[in-house]
Amino acid sequence: MSTATAHGERSGIFTPFNLIAGVILVGGAIILTIRFTTGLASTTNLSNTNPWGLWIGFDVMAGVALAAGGFVISSAVFLFGMKEYRPIVRPALLTGFLGYSLVVLGLLADLGRPWRLPYPFIKQAGPTSPLFEVSLCVALYLTVLFIETTPAVFEWLGLKIWRRLVGQLTIALTIFGVILSTMHQSTLGAMYMVTPTKLHPLWYSSQIPVQFFISAVAAGISMIIVEGWISHRAFHDQVQTSNDQFRDINFGLAKGAAVVLGTYFAVKLVALSLENEWRLLATGWGAWYLIELMGFVVLPCLLFTVAYREQRLGLVRLAAAMTVAGVVLNRFNVTFIAFNWKVPHSMRYAPAWTEVWVTVSLITLAVVVFRWIAHRMPIMYEHPDYPALH
Amino acid sequence: MYHTLFDFLTHTEGATYILIGVLLIGFIGFWRFLTERERGV
Amino acid sequence: MSMSRRGFVGSLAAGAGALSTATTEATTVEHFEGYPGRYGLLHDTTLCVGCRSCEVACAKVNALPEPEQPMGDLDVFEKLRRSTATAFTVVNRYQDGDGDEPPVYRKLQCMHCNEPCCATVCLVHAFTKTPEGPILYDPEVCIGCRYCIMACPYYALAYEYDNPIDPRVMRCTMCYPRIKEGLNPGCADACPAGAITFGRREDLIEVARDRIRKFPDRYINHVFGEYEFGGTSWLMLAGIPFRELDLEEGATHESLPAIGTSYLSVVPLIVTIYPGLLAGFYAFTKRKDKLAKAELEAALAEARAHGEEEAKAKLALAAERAKKDKEKAVETAVRKALAEQGEGGSS
Repeated sequence: MSTATAHGERSGIFTPFNLIAGVILVGGAIILTIRFTTGLASTTNLSNTNPWGLWIGFDVMAGVALAAGGFVISSAVFLFGMKEYRPIVRPALLTGFLGYSLVVLGLLADLGRPWRLPYPFIKQAGPTSPLFEVSLCVALYLTVLFIETTPAVFEWLGLKIWRRLVGQLTIALTIFGVILSTMHQSTLGAMYMVTPTKLHPLWYSSQIPVQFFISAVAAGISMIIVEGWISHRAFHDQVQTSNDQFRDINFGLAKGAAVVLGTYFAVKLVALSLENEWRLLATGWGAWYLIELMGFVVLPCLLFTVAYREQRLGLVRLAAAMTVAGVVLNRFNVTFIAFNWKVPHSMRYAPAWTEVWVTVSLITLAVVVFRWIAHRMPIMYEHPDYPALH
Repeated sequence: MYHTLFDFLTHTEGATYILIGVLLIGFIGFWRFLTERERGV
Repeated sequence: MSMSRRGFVGSLAAGAGALSTATTEATTVEHFEGYPGRYGLLHDTTLCVGCRSCEVACAKVNALPEPEQPMGDLDVFEKLRRSTATAFTVVNRYQDGDGDEPPVYRKLQCMHCNEPCCATVCLVHAFTKTPEGPILYDPEVCIGCRYCIMACPYYALAYEYDNPIDPRVMRCTMCYPRIKEGLNPGCADACPAGAITFGRREDLIEVARDRIRKFPDRYINHVFGEYEFGGTSWLMLAGIPFRELDLEEGATHESLPAIGTSYLSVVPLIVTIYPGLLAGFYAFTKRKDKLAKAELEAALAEARAHGEEEAKAKLALAAERAKKDKEKAVETAVRKALAEQGEGGSS
């Protein structure tokens, strides 16, 4: 069933993208139905030894890190006055909002009793728990992101007064967003401080909160580059930035990413040094650690550096993709690869295909929603009726 | 009196969360009071 | 027996040395002794014969299904087991008997730590350390995040993964209802070999030290659980090194809650420092923009004034030139007229 538009083109519901996305989403829905009617055992490889798997490792841990671009770009533009990045504020915030929504959805699939999600705030609080702090911050930050996404919606709906009201909150929301992001990005790492015997010493550190925060900034910037790469092509007709402007933005991001990754590398070296763990690098686990550190932190750092110096956009994108992969790898290592490293092989964890499918479904859902919003609302461009306030 | 570190932390960290919530909201008021002049009031 | 709340930690055998990030080092270090007179259990692994009566008794007392592998089935020891959602305790064989050496068994269950990790990481405070010693779990508030299971260093907690409606965390309860009635835990009563002794923790430590004193060749000179990770309610004696019983040797005396929450003192600092700091950055940015704008306006004004003068001069010059041109044109016209008049007069 396709409908001819006013211009005589054929635009159908059954595009290849929609079909593939549809299959993925329907499959995910089926798996989740089974999960909620028969329990986690039927659709996951979780066990008493491995209570956290892919849904925590990717949907929650990696998801939050990859959605960090929102607070990075909004603070750059609104707090540090870097106006040249204005055009990407809205895409970055939308990516952030959808990313955090994905985190909550993934969490709802993983929790034993997801309908009790609000319990820490309405029934009984456990303030000693790092997870309490994470859930409080994520709940608040999701609200902040939601409000920061509404200007585009109000513009689309022509609600001028609401738009103005929300616009006046920008600075306060941005500051609050940076506070919340710093806290929960770090605390996600801090959740592992309580497991010194279970997380391999090369990944376990008293500085893991700082490491998580810095890598999240790198991941956020890299996701903005990746998202911009796809959006610039997919929404080409809407984009108002010139090619030069777009290139400059990417190179600026590359410069920032290079510095952040370099800082992250330095912080990791300091951790090795303080705990005198150099000899551990010569073990099998050490080799795996070096693959993560050298291949997915140092290498993209160098690529970003060269890309900025030589102004090579393709290299920027390659570095960004590698950084994203590297942060995901780090979160996987901390959550289930280097975690439980002493447990006998037969009791180790690997994700079930159903877990992978659900994760892919959630990502697909985020992409579908992003597309839907960006096609209709002023995300990739500035609405002519609403001049920039700040 | 607290017999365990766990009980102690439950109470102190709980109280501290509430405190920082109040301080954060208080800051907004403080900032607006401080910068009243700039808003042409 | 006192546990320091924040102290400097020596490097751990497992290489997990966690230097506390305590940004606020108290001038007086807090000491928490735990509830006085609380109970514990002493497990003497040199006396355990692996009969697994404790497993059967535990299942009976807690209305759980009987162990799948019946007592007397020695195949069960082929693999190391852990407690499950339907078995709060299991007995493992860690060393086969060979010739003179008897086999070595150990009973696993929740250790009922002095400073419980599970309680500290629970975001709904579902765990309580009772004055009597046992740690209790409240399934009425549990949301099923399983952080407790992930954190427990003894792998003592299990989850009902096949339950979609009301899955619970399952673990040994130290028979709390029985203790309240003045009875012993089920396993302690059931053990025929005297490998499990129930009593006040401080007394049991004395008993354990006494046994080591009396039989130094029989026991490793260490009461496991006295101080490890802040100490546990289950104390253990062994004749072989504890690491061979799958227990972490050289664990810090600092409790895991102390380690796990030392970072949380940073959170309030972020909330209190960031607002001023970030508002400051915003003010700096606005000020920079304001100054840049002012400079631009000044330059424009100057350019305008300069341009006005130039324009005036140009205008004057043009007017001058126009005047001269006009005068010249008039002169030419007059000369022409006069010349024509002269010519017209001669004809």
